[in-house]
Amino acid sequence: MNGAPRAVAGAEPVPAGRDAILEVRDLWSGYGDTMVVRGLDLRVPAGQTVVIIGPNGHGKTTLLRTISGLVKRRRGEVWLAGERVDGRSAEYLATLGMVHIPQGDLLFPDMTVEENLLMGAFLPRSWRKRHAALEHVYGLIPGLRERAGQRARTLSGGERRLVGLGRGLMREASILLIDEPSLGLAPVAIERVYAAIRDIHAQGTTILLVEENFTHIGDVADIVHVVEMGSIVRTGPLEELSRDQTVVQTYLGTL
Amino acid sequence: MHLTDVIGILVETVVLGSIYGLVAIGMTLIYGTLRILDMSQGSMVMVGSFVGWGVLVVAGWSPALAILFAFAITFALGTFTELISVQPLMGRRGFDFEMVTFITTFAVAIVFANVALQVFGPFQKNVSPVVSGGIDIYRGVDLSYQNLTMALVSIGLMAALGLFLARTRWGLAIRAVAQDLDAARLMGVPVMRLYPLTMGLASALAGIGGVFLGAKFFAYPGAGDLPLLEALIVVIFGGLGSLPGTLYAAYTIGLIQATAEVLVGTTWSLPILYGIILLILIVRPHGLKGRPEEARL
Repeated sequence: MNGAPRAVAGAEPVPAGRDAILEVRDLWSGYGDTMVVRGLDLRVPAGQTVVIIGPNGHGKTTLLRTISGLVKRRRGEVWLAGERVDGRSAEYLATLGMVHIPQGDLLFPDMTVEENLLMGAFLPRSWRKRHAALEHVYGLIPGLRERAGQRARTLSGGERRLVGLGRGLMREASILLIDEPSLGLAPVAIERVYAAIRDIHAQGTTILLVEENFTHIGDVADIVHVVEMGSIVRTGPLEELSRDQTVVQTYLGTL
Repeated sequence: MHLTDVIGILVETVVLGSIYGLVAIGMTLIYGTLRILDMSQGSMVMVGSFVGWGVLVVAGWSPALAILFAFAITFALGTFTELISVQPLMGRRGFDFEMVTFITTFAVAIVFANVALQVFGPFQKNVSPVVSGGIDIYRGVDLSYQNLTMALVSIGLMAALGLFLARTRWGLAIRAVAQDLDAARLMGVPVMRLYPLTMGLASALAGIGGVFLGAKFFAYPGAGDLPLLEALIVVIFGGLGSLPGTLYAAYTIGLIQATAEVLVGTTWSLPILYGIILLILIVRPHGLKGRPEEARL
């Protein structure tokens, strides 16, 4: 954790530095008595894409759901742009520019694609710019415009993922949390989803992305963390970690 | 059965069905978003009927003002009802939310009914027709302008609700909450403020329905009892939470009731109505349009 402002023992918690949009300190979270996230520390610097990889069931999704306020944390702190936000509601965090594109997409099934996208611009500031945002998203993600009037429940898995991604891009994000964008998709669909993520990354949006393995994150990851049993066990640039045989074999099985 | 009977039935179906639809559509809206059966909706009809009586008979003002006042007052009452009988129970675990709110909203309804009893007394207040005249549609089948107005305003309000839900920011937000609560929160929808507003809106529609029913029948403290039952039946019959189903059911029930009234008289119209509903629900337990867990706004 280079430069993490928690080095001085006993000092007042210092807000995350200017360079870190999101900072997570000693976070514990889970369901009932089962803690799935166990003492996790994390920093996401502005403009970077931080990727967390690790096997299923090791707390990746719960981590994102806790950061975005859908799951109440048991212990620990979450700082967003210098403001302590753990314990705040998901709807409040949305007003701070946190955008969470959740696992399983959570689309509004009986709304059309366009209505789903418009909901992404629900907050007043975005609502005023919704038409421009729609054009932007239709331009960025191919195929959505053609489906604009179709109900979300009738879409294929890949299309749903793209709508979920598009909905997340309908407002300005201080940070974008993306949960396993490749999960359950055919290779062609994965390529389209990651092409969109590469574009977002290139525009300088801060991204925290979760995946099960290294396969697709090649050209988006600035920093990679490996999570095991709810805490981070390895950190480094992608090239280093993916060449490290212990990481690959111990935590990820095969590549 | 003569043609005059058939036309008479159709006219009454449209009038009754539209008012039932207006009263029940709020119930559907509430079930769709909050997943509760709001038993206070009947008292909104009752309050609406008294507002109508007060504005039209006591004050002698125009019907438009009666509708406006009923909307404002029952909107406020509905919002208040949500805040005291539903909101405090939200997010807590270990009980049947739907059942408990069924009781708490019913408790509020009883309080409203008894306040009305204290203030206005038990007697029925007659709201004499404010819009006079009518059209002779076919050989003595008369459609009064009052009935016509009530049907048209009801249909207009339901259409406006439909447009509101389809086109506006808050309308979309209400549907979003109904379809996926977590996703709606991630979009920034302030659900704890949206719930009371939804219940206020639903109550306001029932309140306007109450002005109409009061004018068609009477204003009295029990004026909401039968409409509540009818709204419940329309909502269950239409498939819980389904707006098209609600309309479908409202007109079906209006048709059955109007037919029974014309053919065998008012005494038997309710028993026949409920007999038919019983039969249909045994055959189709999820109602006319609803499918289990699928009916959404």
